[in-house]
Amino acid sequence: MLVAPAFDSRPIISFQRVWKTYPNGTDALRDISLTVPNGDFLFLVGASGAGKSSLVRLLIREEKPSSGRLVVDGHDLGRLPRRHLPHFRRTVGLVFQDFKLLPRMTVRENVEFALQAVGEAGAVIADRAGDALETVGLAGKERSYPRELSGGEQQRVAIARALVHQPRLFVADEPTGNLDPATAWEIMELLLDINAAGVTIVMATHNREIVDATRRRVVALERGQIVRDIRSGTYDEGNSSAAVRLQ
Amino acid sequence: MKAIRQLRFACSSAWQNFWRNLAVSVAAVVSIALILVLAGTGLLLGHAFGQVLDSYRHRVSVVTVSVADRTPLASVYDFEAQLQARPEVVGVRFVTKDEELRSFSSDPRNRQLIDQIDGNPVPAKIEVRVAHLDDVKRIDALARQWRGADRTDPTDYQGDVVTNMLRLSTWLTIGGLAMLAVLTVASAVIVMNTIRTAVYHRRDEIELMKLVGATEWFVRGPFLVEGVMTGVIAASLAIGLLLAAYRPFVERFQAELFFLPLSYDPRFVHVLGQDLLVAGAALGAVGSYVGVRRFVRL
Repeated sequence: MLVAPAFDSRPIISFQRVWKTYPNGTDALRDISLTVPNGDFLFLVGASGAGKSSLVRLLIREEKPSSGRLVVDGHDLGRLPRRHLPHFRRTVGLVFQDFKLLPRMTVRENVEFALQAVGEAGAVIADRAGDALETVGLAGKERSYPRELSGGEQQRVAIARALVHQPRLFVADEPTGNLDPATAWEIMELLLDINAAGVTIVMATHNREIVDATRRRVVALERGQIVRDIRSGTYDEGNSSAAVRLQ
Repeated sequence: MKAIRQLRFACSSAWQNFWRNLAVSVAAVVSIALILVLAGTGLLLGHAFGQVLDSYRHRVSVVTVSVADRTPLASVYDFEAQLQARPEVVGVRFVTKDEELRSFSSDPRNRQLIDQIDGNPVPAKIEVRVAHLDDVKRIDALARQWRGADRTDPTDYQGDVVTNMLRLSTWLTIGGLAMLAVLTVASAVIVMNTIRTAVYHRRDEIELMKLVGATEWFVRGPFLVEGVMTGVIAASLAIGLLLAAYRPFVERFQAELFFLPLSYDPRFVHVLGQDLLVAGAALGAVGSYVGVRRFVRL
């Protein structure tokens, strides 16, 4: 069951002239300014090395901005003290291309692990894990191990695991990258359902068909810079004059 | 409640991890146990030496001043009072010639000698007990300046023995402490490396815990518990080995070197057991603490 987070008119993500420079001198992100309203669905597109992964890493505070200001759900990530980092991460649901499931745990244990790791009580863990597995359509496979599931099912487990914290923001890094087109669509529909319940979603992807078919906001990166930001965009905007610049 | 849940999680994870990486865990336990056996052996030898040293110390902390015949009793009392007034002196006892002769005669080894001599050849004595061995030398010097002292053999002070004993005691203490420091560092490094291996084996789990919002100490908890567990298991093993060897060692020692006052001390065994358990747990905790601080960061 999806629970819509409380409505908040503030943008949930705000990049203000953010740069990310790695110690070897590479500018992975250059002067990024981007605002994402609460409840938005945003595709991050671009060739490999364009800066998508760096942007995702900044969003989940795996990296700090080198300069500029990044505010996510009210947290200034450049200044977030380390002791507050766990609490911030509980507000963000994360989904990855490689699922990141623990192979020796069952489906249910994988989902419950996210709550165990933050010290939740047993009853809460059982309830929320059950709800999340029902939401992703895996209620009957709770005792299976990841190796016994298809790629799509594994990604559903990962989504269920991200849902148990009832996040306001979902960050998905190539969630359909390892899936066949039909399964990719199933996952995409699940993410759209989650978004419809009010959860903001940022999804980095190379999947042209999905981006083109869903017509959601598209932010294109090239060499660390935003080159396109279109409200109902496609993967490659053939006619750039039709693009609506949001920034 | 949350703290209890976290502790339960840390303990169960540590236990699982200990068995999952059994080869590494056993290697760490055996290495630390051997180190603790070495440390325990050092402590046992130190205690044995201490027993012997105490016995000698008791003997040499008494300086006996031989009183020349014809020394007026008033002079003896005067010197006795002078000695008693000194802060380093804990007791003074005057032994008359008759008392000393009785004592001398009571030893069967002197019986033949006594039968061959007339009169009383043994001098009267003043026995001076000092608080510290270092003070013996000063009392000896004072006694030698006293006019009433026997000129041929004024005191029984054996300067070299006392000096050597003090020197040996100091060096043994320094050596013991140095050995303990080296062993402590070695154990901590072993635990640290065990933790590093455990962290490597569980890197996916750790990454996931961080990403879903586990606190740094929640992630570190199982490794700390594992370190303490490794230390305590190693200490138990070391205690078992030392207990098995201690009594036979003492018995063998008593049989071979009967003139040295060494005996089995059950109270020390108890103390040693406690110390090694605490040391094992502490070494495990320190090693794993350093390890997790270094290898597990958010």
